[in-house]
Amino acid sequence: MEAIANAPETLEIPTIPTYINGSHALMQTLVAEGVDTIFGYPGGAIMPVYDALYDFQERVNHILVRHEQGAGHAAQGYARMQRRAGVCLVTSGPGATNLVTPIADAQIDSTPLVCIVGQVAKKLLGTDAFQEADIMGVTMPITKWNYQITSADEVPEIIAKAFYIAQSGRPGPVLIDITKSAQLELMTKPYVYKKCESIVSYRPRMVAKQEQVIAAAELINAAKRPYILAGHGVQIAKAEDELRILAEKTGIPVATTLLGQSTIPTNHPLYVGWLGMHGNYGPNVMTDQADVIIAIGMRFDDRVTGDASRYIKQAKVIHIEIDPSEIDKIIRADAPVVGNAKDVLQALIPLVHPNDHTIWRNEFRKYDIIENETITVPELTSTAGKIRMAEVIDMLSTKTKGEAVLVTDVGQHQMMASRYYQFRRPNSLVTSGGMGTMGFALPAAFGVQVGAPDRQVVAIIGDGCFQMTLQELGTIVQNKQPVKAIILNNNFLGMVRQWQQLFHERRYSFVELQNPDFITIARGFGMDGQTCHERDDLSNALDTMLAHDGPFLLEVIVEKEENVFPMVPSGASVSQIRLK
Amino acid sequence: MMNEMTYTICIFTENTIGLLNRITIIFTRRRINIESLTVSETERKGVSRFTVVIRHESREEVEKLVRQIRKIVEVMAVFGYLNDEIVYNEIALFKISTPLGSKSLDVETINKEHKAWVVYWGLDYVVIEKTGNDTEIFAFFDYIKQYEILEFVRSGRVAVGKTEKGLVEYLPEGEWTYYQ
Repeated sequence: MEAIANAPETLEIPTIPTYINGSHALMQTLVAEGVDTIFGYPGGAIMPVYDALYDFQERVNHILVRHEQGAGHAAQGYARMQRRAGVCLVTSGPGATNLVTPIADAQIDSTPLVCIVGQVAKKLLGTDAFQEADIMGVTMPITKWNYQITSADEVPEIIAKAFYIAQSGRPGPVLIDITKSAQLELMTKPYVYKKCESIVSYRPRMVAKQEQVIAAAELINAAKRPYILAGHGVQIAKAEDELRILAEKTGIPVATTLLGQSTIPTNHPLYVGWLGMHGNYGPNVMTDQADVIIAIGMRFDDRVTGDASRYIKQAKVIHIEIDPSEIDKIIRADAPVVGNAKDVLQALIPLVHPNDHTIWRNEFRKYDIIENETITVPELTSTAGKIRMAEVIDMLSTKTKGEAVLVTDVGQHQMMASRYYQFRRPNSLVTSGGMGTMGFALPAAFGVQVGAPDRQVVAIIGDGCFQMTLQELGTIVQNKQPVKAIILNNNFLGMVRQWQQLFHERRYSFVELQNPDFITIARGFGMDGQTCHERDDLSNALDTMLAHDGPFLLEVIVEKEENVFPMVPSGASVSQIRLK
Repeated sequence: MMNEMTYTICIFTENTIGLLNRITIIFTRRRINIESLTVSETERKGVSRFTVVIRHESREEVEKLVRQIRKIVEVMAVFGYLNDEIVYNEIALFKISTPLGSKSLDVETINKEHKAWVVYWGLDYVVIEKTGNDTEIFAFFDYIKQYEILEFVRSGRVAVGKTEKGLVEYLPEGEWTYYQ
């Protein structure tokens, strides 16, 4: 009784420690993961994160895009240059669905992305709340992994896991859906960041089994007509040097896929050209002559194989690939080697015998002569008619000494850029390969420039593609990035028109565009630009663009009905490649 | 299809939300119909086991499917089997009408010949449980249809491999506790 009587008059309130909220936990984890750049667009369901971002402006450069698709492609460009995950931050509903195209693009081209999207509060999930979209369901088939965070406590672990999954093994996009309630609520424990280093159910194999490497080496050593096909995986693994060393030691000719271009300089004596529907003549048809194909970090896309049932039937196939599901998916491998290209090539190089396949390599040259005479030289030396796309790329290549990063959109200009640019440095072509996303180039070029500030970045864009994402001119100008963009304007959706001409009896169905004045549009955004109509003005126009301090748009009016050759018609075998 | 075979695919996963969807979209995208599907937690806590039965004419395609499923981050292991490589069963329930004055059930035949059991007696119906493979279940179906079948339901297949080791032995190393 006495004790009660002596009790203090005011109740003692124990101090409850307060912890940070989900949004601050998210920002701290991003910083811990080394994120210094975010491409994003705010909105209702992500506002608490943007509020936390306000406190992190010194450490994280947030770039406000004009459309979420632009954020996605910019993050892809950034990721390709930095060879680590690009980060997007957008709101729920339409913000999230606008990211779908870049996510699908990143998935098929193995580009690491961490996409953080807002979601309605946990208690509103499934109620058709304002700006609620089931983005988990939408992105499940097109992400490497996705996860919905519904409590602040989950944030550090899940974000660390997201980066680990996006960047390890075969890279890819990861989407994290975070409810507004999780962004706002306080954690119930102290914030602790721990880097994710393994996941029990996910173990990408980096170093291949030695017996697989030995089997591959034996095939290479016994080969009479071996042929290396190098894909994007070589660049992702930073295995450019290993590829070159392997080729130089063995004398094996190297072709690349579309995304594998610039892995090896185009003037390297062992480089024979690139593969695919509009790739070079020799590299395509010579696949039918090889006795051993060494496919490295590539997936035998149908644009490479043509009719896969008639592709490299005569050859033994060594398939070096990090993703086991790619082995035997399209082309059966006689010697599969599952592992990271760099690790595999390092293990393989000591096992292969020095060789010199000059006679075999020279067989490629006779096709080069034909391609040169029928396509390349005429395209580069025409004097009549409008400017040809080839001339623009060729001149750009000379003026930039082959050292620029080309960012190309999708269509004829993309193929022409690949045909005529003479790459001298690795990791110099950023394009939408698997998905073929029109509108990719402008925002991606912006991201490339942010990710590689020391490099000259030139976007090659068609007049159709440009109009899909041209609002990102605003992002480029606001962020003062010196991106140079060239529109090759033929007033057509050129590649579709080419197919209609060749395979649909010239029934040009909805491919002609009434275009706006692109330079006026650029000026409206505060960007300089000029149009080039005449062949004689092209050199000066390119000089003006390249010398310009800051971003610049060069529109080149090109031949209206030009076709890209060589061409492997859809569904044909590569040996049925057409030169005209 | 002429050469269609039945494949049983056993998938071991972490027990998390959305896994079923992640797995089934891989079948959907390749236009492979799922004949039956069973999910339960295994003897390891937190590890789910999916048993998916499909019919397919190409073993190669099924192998590709298995590799695609293995790619899912939460999937620990996937095994594909032909029927002779597994012990498998299904359970079926038959709700049989037994109104007054109807022909009485031959319980001895049901028990001894078909190894089926009456598990519930209603006022004017009974529920019979039959466990077995699909051939056995349909043999019983043919026998029991002389009575009025009010309802018939069959579970998905459950299967264990005929190898000596348990399949969980093949799962990646980790800290495991047994399912309580």
